[in-house]
Amino acid sequence: MTAALVTDGLGKRYGSQWALRDCTLEIPRGSVTALVGPNGAGKTTLLRMAVGLTRPSAGSVRVLGLDPHVDAAEALPRVGFLAQEHPLYGGFTIAEMLRVGRELNPGWDEEAARARIAELDLPLKKKVRSLSGGQRAQVALTLALAKRPELLLLDEPVASLDPLARREFMQTVVEAVADRELTVVLSSHILADLERVCDRLVILAVGRTQLAGSIEEIVASHRLLTGPRDEAEDVARLHDVVRESHAERQTTLVVRANGHVYDARWTVHELDLEEIVLAYLGQDAARRREAVLS
Amino acid sequence: MIWLSWRQQRTETLIAAAILALLTVAFVPAGIHAADLYVQQHVARCVDRQTQACGFVVGNYVLNTGVLRGLLDSGWFNLIPGLIGVALATPILLDLENGVVRLAWTQSITRRHWIGTKLGFAVGTAVLAGAGFSALFTWYEIPFDRIFGRWDKFDFEWLAPVGYTLFALGLALAVGVLVRRSAAALVVAYGAYVAARLFVQYWLRQHLVAPLSATWGPRSAGPNLSSAWVISQVPSDKAGHPFSGGAQVFQACVRSNGDGFKGVSQACMARHGAGFTHAVYQPASRFWEFQGIEFALFAGVALLLISFAAWRVLRTD
Repeated sequence: MTAALVTDGLGKRYGSQWALRDCTLEIPRGSVTALVGPNGAGKTTLLRMAVGLTRPSAGSVRVLGLDPHVDAAEALPRVGFLAQEHPLYGGFTIAEMLRVGRELNPGWDEEAARARIAELDLPLKKKVRSLSGGQRAQVALTLALAKRPELLLLDEPVASLDPLARREFMQTVVEAVADRELTVVLSSHILADLERVCDRLVILAVGRTQLAGSIEEIVASHRLLTGPRDEAEDVARLHDVVRESHAERQTTLVVRANGHVYDARWTVHELDLEEIVLAYLGQDAARRREAVLS
Repeated sequence: MIWLSWRQQRTETLIAAAILALLTVAFVPAGIHAADLYVQQHVARCVDRQTQACGFVVGNYVLNTGVLRGLLDSGWFNLIPGLIGVALATPILLDLENGVVRLAWTQSITRRHWIGTKLGFAVGTAVLAGAGFSALFTWYEIPFDRIFGRWDKFDFEWLAPVGYTLFALGLALAVGVLVRRSAAALVVAYGAYVAARLFVQYWLRQHLVAPLSATWGPRSAGPNLSSAWVISQVPSDKAGHPFSGGAQVFQACVRSNGDGFKGVSQACMARHGAGFTHAVYQPASRFWEFQGIEFALFAGVALLLISFAAWRVLRTD
């Protein structure tokens, strides 16, 4: 079976600025993937290209084996998308929003949509404009889910929500994944929102993929090493160094280990996911500083 | 998609309907009154007759038909097709401006389908509104057209108002996809609509087909210009050149019998090369030709503008 989302050398340029560059990744079906990166890393651009809103400037993107631009009529019914600002028609009632979903989607699940709205305790006659941010996000998610997509793309879905609304939103996503075969990609610049829900991680930084893989494998392979400064190069020969910091005689390395790390002169610590992501994003910040200086 | 297009365009459609309803309420009773009066006062027998008595009949008739015709004469109602056309563009422009298109474009329909249905709805409504506007005034003007000719209210009748409404819609859409600020786009588009209408009405239209001209002397009645569109009519010499030395010739040809003015000798005027009239005009028979051109011009430009807007929307990233 083809992967849910495949990109190959994907890039998008606006004028002379690359919003995303040389992004190659593969997201398997049935996974829940966190797309993490600082603001401006190209997360939104990547997701928009995946759903056909934006045309790539370089490389290719395929969703469920289809080109979202060329095969739009075939791909769109199978991909759900929720934009960052949770767009809904402000002057419409919730009932009218559901009608929009029904009219525009052949696979629409009216029963599930109504059940979800009832669960949220929202009157169908209520205008979208008068909803709170959290309610609005939930209605938008209800619409995206009732379409019964195979792949659901959520762009910074909880960035604008308060902690309680975040929790409720993520709970809805978890339930949807448990319910049926659904691949989810959700982006965020806050890892804490995603860790409980996701089983895979993609780190985008400086508009490129830095790291992609299952969270389990990522946590298992990354280590923090502390040891003599003059032997840091030997370590770099064996393992991928993500980040290094030097004191007078001592060096601290975050490495992606190739195989087991054992060396009496180095102390080895395990890292949690957040520390690993920060190591990658810190590296990104350092590179950006270099770019500015040069 | 049809329901969504209707739902989003509902307010604007109701505004257009309300404007037309208001005009209908005002002009239908006045039109019935004008048609009745036309028969009662035997105005028909004065059509194309320049006698003093007929001048009185016609003047009296226009006076008795009420103030609305005067309001129509003022030309302000020319603003209405533009208002309706611009209003019909707003739902699409607002969608694009506030990003809610990202909702519509990620449902199961293609963007092409979306823009096609939306534009189809807006264009259809614009045509209906323009046709309604035109039907009302074409009907209202029937008795007046008999008296003054159909040129008089050319831009309220038949095809022209449909073209104007479409043109305003196309302008608003094209400006809107370029500037992406709906409010500013609507203002700019409406300004451009008014400017284009004035330009066509006061300059371009008379040049669309070479006008006819005629020169006639004092003893001839000249061509029947009562239902023609007279672009200019000036005193001239025999060859049709504008005549300037009027005052001297007039003095030379005044016949007096010592104690007072008795008249002007036409023969004397003719000898001095005066007393002729030169007119440049479009005859009544060209009315349909001009209606066709006017409609093709405005609707054609509208089609280009709307196509441009659609193309921009399809290319939006």
